[in-house]
Amino acid sequence: MKKLLQKIAKKSPWLYRINAGSCNGCDVELATTACIPRYDVERLGCKYCGSPKHADIVLITGPLTARVKEKVLRLYDEIPDPKVTVAIGVCPISGGVFRDSYAISGPIDNFIPVDVNVPGCPPRPQAIIDGIVEAIKIWETRL
Amino acid sequence: MTNFVQLILNLLIFPGGLFAVALGLFLMGIDRKIAARLQRRVGPPVYQPFIDLVKLTRKEMVVPGTAHLQAFWLAPLLGFAGMMAAVTLIPIAGVYQGFKYSGDLLVLLYLLALPAIALMIGGSASSSPFGAVGFSREMVMMMSYELPLLVVLVTIALKVGLATGGIATFSLSEIVQFQLENGALLFDYTMLPALLAFLVFIPGNMGVVPFDIPEAETEIVEGPILEYSGTGLALFKLMTSLKMIVVLGLAIALFFPTPLGKNFLVNLLWFFLKCLVLMVIAITIVRTSTGRVRMDQAFKFYLRYPTVLALISLVLTLLQR
Repeated sequence: MKKLLQKIAKKSPWLYRINAGSCNGCDVELATTACIPRYDVERLGCKYCGSPKHADIVLITGPLTARVKEKVLRLYDEIPDPKVTVAIGVCPISGGVFRDSYAISGPIDNFIPVDVNVPGCPPRPQAIIDGIVEAIKIWETRL
Repeated sequence: MTNFVQLILNLLIFPGGLFAVALGLFLMGIDRKIAARLQRRVGPPVYQPFIDLVKLTRKEMVVPGTAHLQAFWLAPLLGFAGMMAAVTLIPIAGVYQGFKYSGDLLVLLYLLALPAIALMIGGSASSSPFGAVGFSREMVMMMSYELPLLVVLVTIALKVGLATGGIATFSLSEIVQFQLENGALLFDYTMLPALLAFLVFIPGNMGVVPFDIPEAETEIVEGPILEYSGTGLALFKLMTSLKMIVVLGLAIALFFPTPLGKNFLVNLLWFFLKCLVLMVIAITIVRTSTGRVRMDQAFKFYLRYPTVLALISLVLTLLQR
């Protein structure tokens, strides 16, 4: 019974975007290219939700600047379990072009468990969708 | 005793309860699919709302520390229960008669206000500032769409009441019976403005895009339901799907209840088809082709056009007698 529910439930991952000081390049890819009309992640059952309380898959962009760090961590805590984190772009991994800057407290996986990395500056829409599919596989085991 | 058993069955299984929930969720799935196709997307499968519900029951429930707990959990239950009761009041011609109680239209009017009230209670009990903004917007929205609805209902009650020799009939089953005998009100030219007014009322009550101001996702992050997660959110989703059946079913009962022959199943399918067409016209096409308006614009819009249209119908009905 639990297995069956797991199988059904994995088809409805709701996405939530956190901008951790990103330059907006990855956000544009997320908001306009990868997820609405052209490549349509709604066919996978995904939906963007405005509230962290409704989220299942968290998409984080940006290098985690010092100013935004506390807020991102608090937001991350508000997301109910089970959740999966996907880091979009090269900034969450290493800082990207902002690397070694005095204003950066990343990389993000020092503070938040990151499950999937989608490198690129910005990553291609296909890569983002591939990352979301990977995240769904991980999410299924936690449901 | 059998009456009581029948009532419970009506409430829990056939026109209300299970059946209405399944129908509502299925209609919502179709709505999402058609909306996606209109925007040239593939879209989710039509059974997506069912999957969403199963998913939501498996999520952790987060309650904000500063929330008023009782009110926070009462709100979704209140809205859901109100809509469950409301569905049983909707007659489906040739399938289900509704209650033979002479004031069921008035009861329905009050029950229709419950989802909005539930959202208000939930929003304000969640102690989130977005919830508070959603609360005030929901209230203004409710005040603006209730007036045209009221005038439409009074017009139809007067129309049927005057034709049958009384003054006004606030009984849905009598209104349906009248239309079965004398032809649907849809084909009566004096009722056309009222029908238009009702069509405009539907997106406002359902809170879909041009009038989704209380739950505006991009401004106040879903407003009243912001703090709900897991089962609480699932109850709000169920409430919305039931509300859809109530509003569409009310429109069908008021304007076009004509059944298709005497077969039970055929009539049920016919009701479903009518719901579907009405939903596509009044919800799906509207929400895919417009953008959100401001609160004051919506308020003025509702007090101007639908109210005037409904009043035209009212005057025509009074002149006709």
